[in-house]
Amino acid sequence: MLDLPARISNSLFALVQTQRAVAHLLVDDTQTLVQAGGHLDHYGLSGLRCGEPACDQVPLLEGLLPLAETPFLIRSMEMPSGRVADVHFIADESAVWILLLDVTAEHDEARRVQQKAYDMTLLSQREARLIEQLEAANQELTRAHRELAESREALLRTHHRLQQELRDAERYVRAILPAPLTQPFALDWRFVPSTELGGDSFGYHWIDPEHFALYLIDVCGHGVGAALLSVAVADTLRSEALPRTDFRKPGEVLAALNQAYQMARHDELFCTVWYGVYHRDAGLLRYACAGHPPAILVSGPRDCAGQGRSLAAAGPCVGISAAASYREEQCSLGSPARLFVFSDGTFEISRPDGSQMAFSDFTDMITRPVEEGECELDRLLNYARQVHGGETLEDDFTILRMAL
Amino acid sequence: MLQRKICLLGAFGVGKTSLVRRYVDTIFSDAYLTTVGVKIDKKVVSLGAEQVALILWDIAGEDEVAAVRMSYLRGAAGYLLVADGTRPETLEAATSIQSRIVTELGRVPFLALLNKADLAQDWAISAARLQALEDAGWTFRRTSAKTGDGVEATFEELAALLAR
Repeated sequence: MLDLPARISNSLFALVQTQRAVAHLLVDDTQTLVQAGGHLDHYGLSGLRCGEPACDQVPLLEGLLPLAETPFLIRSMEMPSGRVADVHFIADESAVWILLLDVTAEHDEARRVQQKAYDMTLLSQREARLIEQLEAANQELTRAHRELAESREALLRTHHRLQQELRDAERYVRAILPAPLTQPFALDWRFVPSTELGGDSFGYHWIDPEHFALYLIDVCGHGVGAALLSVAVADTLRSEALPRTDFRKPGEVLAALNQAYQMARHDELFCTVWYGVYHRDAGLLRYACAGHPPAILVSGPRDCAGQGRSLAAAGPCVGISAAASYREEQCSLGSPARLFVFSDGTFEISRPDGSQMAFSDFTDMITRPVEEGECELDRLLNYARQVHGGETLEDDFTILRMAL
Repeated sequence: MLQRKICLLGAFGVGKTSLVRRYVDTIFSDAYLTTVGVKIDKKVVSLGAEQVALILWDIAGEDEVAAVRMSYLRGAAGYLLVADGTRPETLEAATSIQSRIVTELGRVPFLALLNKADLAQDWAISAARLQALEDAGWTFRRTSAKTGDGVEATFEELAALLAR
């Protein structure tokens, strides 16, 4: 205890009483309120009734009495009035004094400091969680990226293998094409597939010493499936592998070919075919057509402008209808003349503005005089590329020229 | 009338004060206001034919420098141990508080509240951890002081437990 004179002690007590708004309660050992005084209103504790149970009137006392320790302090308790008090419990013989001292100012200051500290802590916890989530997401992304890179490598390996196989297939398709002829007449061709493997194929061969067969096949679509069917059809014609068929008769050949290659048995693929047979001694060309563009016969010397004659014949595409028949046509074929057989990719050329080249532009190019040293097939190919505006054409470009 | 003292305990910022405000005054504020010291509220509930006054002690949350004073729990009939479902560390703080209560006061009935259930997309407490605590005798309830989901039911479940 401080050894202070009474007047100082009294001043100190008066100071505490004034500044701390002291209020007091006295509760006996039956937990009855026996005394209440001081600034009770300040804490919202007015109207207390002495002689009645203390806990019913002052809820904060519930469970705390009798005291387990003395003195006992509850710091910063918010009271019903909103003021904050330190609540002191002091045992006095069989009763308990409860003293309330206002600490609202200290409480508010402590709350301001604590609020800032907690806000900062919550923020840093949230930041840590976000960083953790980002790191987890980053790890997941890294793993996905690695898997993607591995998949890409596997795909590239597969792609390269398939490309190699396609190049092998393309080499094979080109290898089985017949070589250009110079005797007894000139026969040359240009074959430029739009993709590595196209749907066009062609062939020519002597059926016997007098009859020369010439044919061009265009399977709908491009790629491996179309190329396989195209090569198969060309091989059937080349090896004359159609039963009970006279290969000197174009109508009969196409009818038999149509029976052999019905689309229902060939993955819904069908094709157009132009098939002609030149009888050398008679100077006669017999031909039939299965949905294919007509061949064009240009008579006269090559250095003069010629007249193009369309060699069309009625007949549907091979593979669509088993009941189809093919009309056979014929025309004289005497020197000097050039016969052009081609696929639709030679004239169905789109310009960069989306418009289409006219068929008459193509026939005009064919019938133009050919200058000395000029190759008219290259002229046609270059013209198509020029019209299209690029080296790679949209469709297979295949054309045969037989010059007598 | 029967009176029962119930304490709300847990780490800071888990929503103890918001739960009391939702239960007693049916209000909620998104603004976080920290609690210093203790705030006492009273709510009378009917349990069958009987009325019970719940004396709710909202005790300042525990942090790294200030532990919950166990003497404040003296005379408590039960307590609500509150954790924030989006902050796993608050569940660990709750387990620490609970073990100190058992040491100092013995076994007192309690329910564990996983608060902020409305923030399901940010939920961060593992099912395995919850299962382990359930195996140790904990009873969890999901609450949201923001939406009110589970709040009244949980307070009254504990009240019913204490009135037996």
